[in-house]
Amino acid sequence: MAVQSVLESVAACIVEGDEHRAQETVEEALAMGLPPQEVVDGGLVAGMRMVSDKWKAMEIFLPEVMMAVETWRAAMDIIEPYLTAEARNDLKRGVVVIGAVRGDIHEIGKNIVAILLKTAGFEVHDLGTDVPASVFVSEAEKVKADIIAASALMTTTMPFQKDIVEYLTMRGQRDRYFVMVGGGPVTPQWAEEIGADAYGQTADDAMRLALDYMDSCRSS
Amino acid sequence: MIDFEEIVDRALNGPLCSPQDFDLQVFVPKMREVVRKYEIKYDDANPVPPDDDLADRVFSAGLEFYEAVGTYCVDSERIIKFTQAEIQQALEQAPSAVHLGDGKDRRQLVARRPESDVLPWCSVGAGGAGVSNERIFTSLVTAYARLPLADSITTPSLTMLDGRSISAGTPLEIEGAIRTAVLSRECLRRAGRPGMPLVNGIATAVYGRATIAGSQFGFRPSDGWEIASIAEMKTNFDLLSKVAYILSLGGNILAETGPIMGGLAGGPEGTAVLNAAYHIEGILVKRGCLHHPFPIHMTYGSNTSRRLLWVQSVSTQAIARNSHFPLLNLGYTAAGPMTRMCLYETAAWVIASVVCGASIEAEGVARATHVDYLTPLEPRLATEVAHAAIGLSRQGANEIVNRLLEKYEHHIPEAPLGSKYQECFDVESATPVPEYVDLYEQVKSELRGYGLPL
Repeated sequence: MAVQSVLESVAACIVEGDEHRAQETVEEALAMGLPPQEVVDGGLVAGMRMVSDKWKAMEIFLPEVMMAVETWRAAMDIIEPYLTAEARNDLKRGVVVIGAVRGDIHEIGKNIVAILLKTAGFEVHDLGTDVPASVFVSEAEKVKADIIAASALMTTTMPFQKDIVEYLTMRGQRDRYFVMVGGGPVTPQWAEEIGADAYGQTADDAMRLALDYMDSCRSS
Repeated sequence: MIDFEEIVDRALNGPLCSPQDFDLQVFVPKMREVVRKYEIKYDDANPVPPDDDLADRVFSAGLEFYEAVGTYCVDSERIIKFTQAEIQQALEQAPSAVHLGDGKDRRQLVARRPESDVLPWCSVGAGGAGVSNERIFTSLVTAYARLPLADSITTPSLTMLDGRSISAGTPLEIEGAIRTAVLSRECLRRAGRPGMPLVNGIATAVYGRATIAGSQFGFRPSDGWEIASIAEMKTNFDLLSKVAYILSLGGNILAETGPIMGGLAGGPEGTAVLNAAYHIEGILVKRGCLHHPFPIHMTYGSNTSRRLLWVQSVSTQAIARNSHFPLLNLGYTAAGPMTRMCLYETAAWVIASVVCGASIEAEGVARATHVDYLTPLEPRLATEVAHAAIGLSRQGANEIVNRLLEKYEHHIPEAPLGSKYQECFDVESATPVPEYVDLYEQVKSELRGYGLPL
């Protein structure tokens, strides 16, 4: 198979969510002598970019994106041992701790954000639902997070987003993390009022905010 | 129908499954399989498709899906599953009507069919939207109760109590539930409709204990008590406990659900199938008196886009044609009060729902996510359109809905927020400003031009 053809095949496997074929195709590419970084950039990343474009155009939905992420992971299991430590590090855009705040059991919106962040190359630690402020912070410390993302889908759970910012401030750790908030009743005005760094109305907004923040960190 | 105790037993002893496996290994593959098997295909040109065969296939797909997938209990990590025979029995024994309210305000909500000439039940209110203080709450609820075509009310959600923010799971939530009950009953008395049913349980109540608190201070068995789902096809002990309590109270359960288009069910096809499946879950697990869905767009948070109108239309027809369980559709607009767009959206989803066989709850405006952005005028239009839509065919509804969509669908992503209640109404007298009255009459005139006898 020609080089371009095998890379397109890898990308297609990501889009189709075919884990088994993705692993086979990655192995074929490596056997052909392709540099692992080229397989990642031209195959896996290219495929994930197509997934992101299709998601934005609403041609595919959450299940397809979830399967693409699983396929990426399966393919990376094959290729990761061949990557240099530097290359592995470059693939990671940043580390995010995400959850639905105390008292809130709604998680689909938060799950979509988590999945999109993974497609963008973030390492995501999903705390689930009904998460106290202290757990957001302790997990962020443990995994050396860059970003804390907190969702609230009810006006009565929104106050617990404020708790996270207050907790960080109390511990003198406020500047250590980029805090972004979202969820149905959350507004830019609320985010500003509680001292959060950013507000995302949609999952795509959240992904863009996270990417912009990490880019600004790299350039400063 | 199997007893509720059996449901609890299956929640405690059903097959174990992790949440991730339920979503990715059980739910998603089966949904893809049934959408393919039953050839469910979205039709962009026809948001209200007059297609009996499609509706019946969606229903069959929903049945097969629910039998295979069941309901997942997140607290026990087990699946509550049913046999085909149990599902069939539930469909046969499900209620076909429910009486809500007391005294002269007691009325019957019945199951309808597509293109039925039976008047739809019109529940009016806030769709869960929040208000900033009790003055606005009482003004709104009294005004809702005075709407001539309103059969029941969903109250707004109190967000503040005596200057304090209500936080879920705290004593303030309990007091908020009690205050909601007490104030609501007083508002109904002032409006001369003391027996009018309140049908959203208690909007402020997140946990079951708050629901129970409200039931001691004014919420009655003859009201409607909403029991929700966790997306998708999930429940928990708190929700099941609410069911247990309300059953003992003798209350009327509204089996509520908001299947997300773009979420686990995928696109419009899967979301329509999921809505049909949820109606069975509503009978068996939530022990509902009716199915109360609000399929919702994952990004826009509303259900007036072309795809969501298709989802509502097709799944409503599926259920109305094949089940006698009543349907009460809940709408969410993207635009807010005192905008032309909000009124167009209202008309579109109400026409689609009523003509396809549902009754209506109107509605959450501005996605019901902005405090104080709601008025009685939007639900008023909804009730007038709901009554005027009687006699329309699905084909006729499709034409009107297409014309309305042309006017607003491209603006959904950046929909105008509109005005707060206190900006477009006199709060004391609950009367709209002249500008809003003019806008309202202009839109009604446009709708008359489309053939609606308003």
